[in-house]
Amino acid sequence: MSITKEQTSNQQIKWFDSFTKVMLSVMFVLLLFIFGAGKYMASHNMEAGGTDDLVNNLATKVTKGEHHPFAELPGDAQVGAFSVANFFAGLIVGHHWEKLFGRPKNEEQSLEVE
Amino acid sequence: MHIEDGILSPLAWGSWYAVTTAFVIPGLREIQKKVKENLSYKPFLAMTGVAVFVISAMHLPVPVTGSCSHPCGTPLAAIIVGPLATAVISAIVLFFQAIFLGHGGITTIGANTFSMGIVGGISGYLSWKILCSLRSPLWLAAGVAGFVGDILTYLTSSFELALSLHGHVPLLKQWMIFFMGYGPTQLPLAIAEAAFTAAVLQVMVNRRPDLLPGIKLRQKSSREVKPNVNH
Repeated sequence: MSITKEQTSNQQIKWFDSFTKVMLSVMFVLLLFIFGAGKYMASHNMEAGGTDDLVNNLATKVTKGEHHPFAELPGDAQVGAFSVANFFAGLIVGHHWEKLFGRPKNEEQSLEVE
Repeated sequence: MHIEDGILSPLAWGSWYAVTTAFVIPGLREIQKKVKENLSYKPFLAMTGVAVFVISAMHLPVPVTGSCSHPCGTPLAAIIVGPLATAVISAIVLFFQAIFLGHGGITTIGANTFSMGIVGGISGYLSWKILCSLRSPLWLAAGVAGFVGDILTYLTSSFELALSLHGHVPLLKQWMIFFMGYGPTQLPLAIAEAAFTAAVLQVMVNRRPDLLPGIKLRQKSSREVKPNVNH
């Protein structure tokens, strides 16, 4: 059976495939957990600070000196830095994931034709 | 485990740099060798490095203790790209986290790489190897590797701090004081890291067992494997 290029490209754009569904489900579960935990901690007046900071502060009490990260990012700048870094990290992982774990083209085509 | 600048003395951070270098140099050689043998290794390494970057910067809240911490990703990395290569990618990851995200410091890259990339990676890898040799199920071996690697990373980080700062306090006591800062929050995250390591490894084995030579032999006996990339 022969198919046109247009038909093939239409068939191949299956954006809500099983991989996307699984990834979205995992993401929602993680986000729900984070929101749930955040809500609980807020209601119990917990700081929700990082343990790295906690231990670094503990160590500073011993050294009686100043500790500081190499780059200090105030307020929302840290959210911005994390977003940019994770966006591009996601692109790189996705790019290599497709190369390594994606279905081979001939297998994909035969599935589409069937 | 991201120790910041200004905490360790120059002698301490210099020594950790020297120890880490002793693992990073053979790691670079191993990478060069594997890249020549396997065309898929380079993208695999890149993907793994980026995954370690994201995982070790992903702070998750633990409501029981009221604080946040992050998994490491290095036990998984050690299983799939090798423990020495994991030391190299950890050093790169920690450098970028220090300069762009304010996580850790420049002087402490040696100490942080030792705890996360070397001890975390090698202990996870050894746990994996031991359980595999005992013919344990893949998910269990990977899960234990994730858990052990995670906890040992934080034990090592506390040890690095205690060794440098214990003064007149007994080393063991100071070590446990620092570890108790990490431990209660890290325990549930180590369990999460175990589940994550097991799940990701299982997916990789199902899709590309040829990328994981140690596992391929075990899988091939139960079903035929069809890799989709020709080297």
